Amino acid sequence: MSHPNKRSSSTTTTSSSSSSLTSPPPMKKAKSHSQPDTKNGLHHHTHSDNDDDGRRAQPDNLSRKKAQPPQPGKKQFVIKPFKAKPAVPKNLEEETWEILKSAICAIFLKKPVSCVLEDLYQAVYNLCVHKMGGSLYQRIEKECERHIAAALQSLVGQSPDLVVFLTLVERCWQDLCAQILMIRDIALYLDRTYVKQTPNVRSLWDMGLQLFRKHLSLSSEVEHKIVTGLLRMIEKERLGEAVARTLLNHLSKMFIALGIYSESFEKPFLECSSEFYGTEGVKYMQQSDVPEYLKHVEKRLHEEHERCLLYLDASTRKPLVATAEKQLLERHISAILDKGFTMLMDGNRIEDLQRMYTLFLRVNALESLRQALSSYIRKTGQGMIMDEEKDKDMVSSLLEFKASLDTIWEESFFKNEAFCITIKDAFEYLINLRQNRPAELIAKFLDEKLRAGNKGTSEEELEGTLDKVLVLFRFIQGKDVFEAFYKKDLAKRLLLGKSASIDAEKSMISKLKTECGSQFTNKLEGMFKDIELSKEINESFRQSSQARTKLPSGIELSVHVLTSGYWPTYAPMDVRLPHELNVYQDIFKEFYLSKYSGRRLMWQNSLGHCVLKAEFPKGRKELAVSLFQTVVLMLFNDAEKLSFQDIKDSTSIEDKELRRTLQSLACGKVRVLQKFPKGRDVEDDDSFTFNDTFAAPLYRIKVNAIQMKETVEENTSTTERVFQDRQYQIDAAIVRIMKTRKLLSHTILITELFQQLRFPIKPADLKKRIESLIDREYLERDKNNPQVYNYLA
Amino acid sequence: MKVKILLFWWHAVAAWTWDAQDETCGICRMAFDGCCPDCKLPGDDCPLIWGACNHAFHLHCILKWVNSQTSQAHCPMCRREWQFKG
Repeated sequence: MSHPNKRSSSTTTTSSSSSSLTSPPPMKKAKSHSQPDTKNGLHHHTHSDNDDDGRRAQPDNLSRKKAQPPQPGKKQFVIKPFKAKPAVPKNLEEETWEILKSAICAIFLKKPVSCVLEDLYQAVYNLCVHKMGGSLYQRIEKECERHIAAALQSLVGQSPDLVVFLTLVERCWQDLCAQILMIRDIALYLDRTYVKQTPNVRSLWDMGLQLFRKHLSLSSEVEHKIVTGLLRMIEKERLGEAVARTLLNHLSKMFIALGIYSESFEKPFLECSSEFYGTEGVKYMQQSDVPEYLKHVEKRLHEEHERCLLYLDASTRKPLVATAEKQLLERHISAILDKGFTMLMDGNRIEDLQRMYTLFLRVNALESLRQALSSYIRKTGQGMIMDEEKDKDMVSSLLEFKASLDTIWEESFFKNEAFCITIKDAFEYLINLRQNRPAELIAKFLDEKLRAGNKGTSEEELEGTLDKVLVLFRFIQGKDVFEAFYKKDLAKRLLLGKSASIDAEKSMISKLKTECGSQFTNKLEGMFKDIELSKEINESFRQSSQARTKLPSGIELSVHVLTSGYWPTYAPMDVRLPHELNVYQDIFKEFYLSKYSGRRLMWQNSLGHCVLKAEFPKGRKELAVSLFQTVVLMLFNDAEKLSFQDIKDSTSIEDKELRRTLQSLACGKVRVLQKFPKGRDVEDDDSFTFNDTFAAPLYRIKVNAIQMKETVEENTSTTERVFQDRQYQIDAAIVRIMKTRKLLSHTILITELFQQLRFPIKPADLKKRIESLIDREYLERDKNNPQVYNYLA
Repeated sequence: MKVKILLFWWHAVAAWTWDAQDETCGICRMAFDGCCPDCKLPGDDCPLIWGACNHAFHLHCILKWVNSQTSQAHCPMCRREWQFKG
């Protein structure tokens, strides 16, 4: 409001000093700049700036007024004083007021004003100059009040149609605004002198508003009708009808101008909105599904926001939107989550979840959403983890689950830090829900991926998969179980030449190293070293004199020499080798021990594998087989038909292992042997012959898949070894702690152990180990306090 | 025609361990299959060494022992003068 005034005040100053002898100049200026105001009908002018100029211009104008016009002539021009002090005409005030009053009446009645406006201004000016401003002000106020009261009275009992009524009010308001402004313009001088100089007197514009307000509140029927009308119209709009927004805009501006917006309109409006959305929220929650509901809420909030931009005051936005949020969202948070969260998550509805997040953020309900997410992950994941029948797919389902959660986190939850932690926590909880088995399955999943024959996966894809699996690995508390199984599988891949890519293997090891430190991967790296070293040993063996002089020709031998500590421990497996194979082994052993003194070499025949050439009646084949299979097959070079017992006697292979071997040769996909009688399992009195009718499309045939397969015994022994190891680690940790502390209470010892040990463990297990150490006299209970242990050096 | 099986490629596997009379090192009391207390990895990284008296120790252990002796070093097991087995 102050800006245009300032600008106009400067123009006023210049014009007054430069031109115009007649009436004080600000009139036109004031009028011209106040014209646009009438259109809006809401300007409450304070003319502080203008007034200043008016006063400065005053003496200048006065002197011009009284001076005689210059006359050409011979007579000397003499200024004579007045004979008597000029008196103000007695009836000046009354007469002038009559003129003004009729003009004001005409303005209010929208009739042409009989006088020139400039004269009216002059009239006001004259009265003010003669110090009659006070009574003029009162007269004008009284006159205005009469008209304004009448105008408002005319609205009473008007059209029952609210829109029509509101339109009348709008017109009445705008007319009065224009009229008061007009009067203000005429009496501008009054506004600038009397009003300015007298405390507690309203400017004419404010006086007009005040009168309007007074009479509006006096006729409460009109006010009530306006408010109801507005509320009804807004409700109609909310229900989808088009309404006259300009009308709403003007009327809300009227309330603002009158200064009764918040009390008379906003308050009932917010109450009404609250009630409206309260009912709507309950109704819609029942009617529609959650995504629909959220969309609706979003739309509603947007509408309310727009409403404030379009026709309500900006100050209403906050409370209004808050009301809608409260009624539509806050009250239904838990219902929304209960009803729709799982459905949205299951359906991977990124967009709907994003909407939910954004809306919940508005009402500070993210914590509820986070909790829902947490319990969703736990519940959904539990099905994947706990169902033993789904073990085979556990890791891939977990990976898929995690990937979809990550996408939702990124796209729907805007990478909220707290949600990220929630997902992690929930996964950690999940994976450790079942002891050991998930760790084992993760190792096996990796084995599957790193094993040769995974065609169709590129190096990059493989890398990506490894990274993802590593995320799961991170959550595992018992990493030793993972290590044991991973090591067992890695050993097989390396020894049987089944690794898809040594680069990928090494990349996985370095990932594990970054994750768990070199302590964790030392031995795994040692395995790779052994493989490298073995290549060199084989090379020098081939060049050696022993090999050249003593070795019978025909068999190409290569040996993997393992450093025992690095590799999984293998139970020694008996087998009686054909004589020539023994010769080979002996010569190699002799060579090796001559090269590395102080060592013992033990053959791990269960891990040996061979390539055979087999002449079948229907063609020659190359067979990739295990050493055990080789030993069995070679028996048939000298015999037609052999019984199970024959084979067992000649090979000395352990019963179960032999049955497995025979089954792989006679009952699998590739049947090199024939079993009599036929059947899936090998029985004691079965007998075997070569399969003369053997035929296969390929030249090279693999029969040794059996070696890669994990047997039940292998699995149990791996698990048992982990547990055994844990016992040693517990013992070592107890001794280590006690050695430094000498004397320690049970509780502190247990706490320290929990800090040191990197696998899940129960206090009861620790107690057992402590007992065992007491038995072995590493520790003793204190004689005075059985809760305290002493270290026995 | 009789089927003939011919072995022509053999990938054998063997594991080596130290061939010492004792299970554990007389100095650090750790298993020979393991490593000395200063090492992390057994095997070539922490080798055994035999004295002329045929007693074996972790190389790192006996070196520490020998270096810590002011005058002549003796085998910690049999007190004979320590000499590395040639």
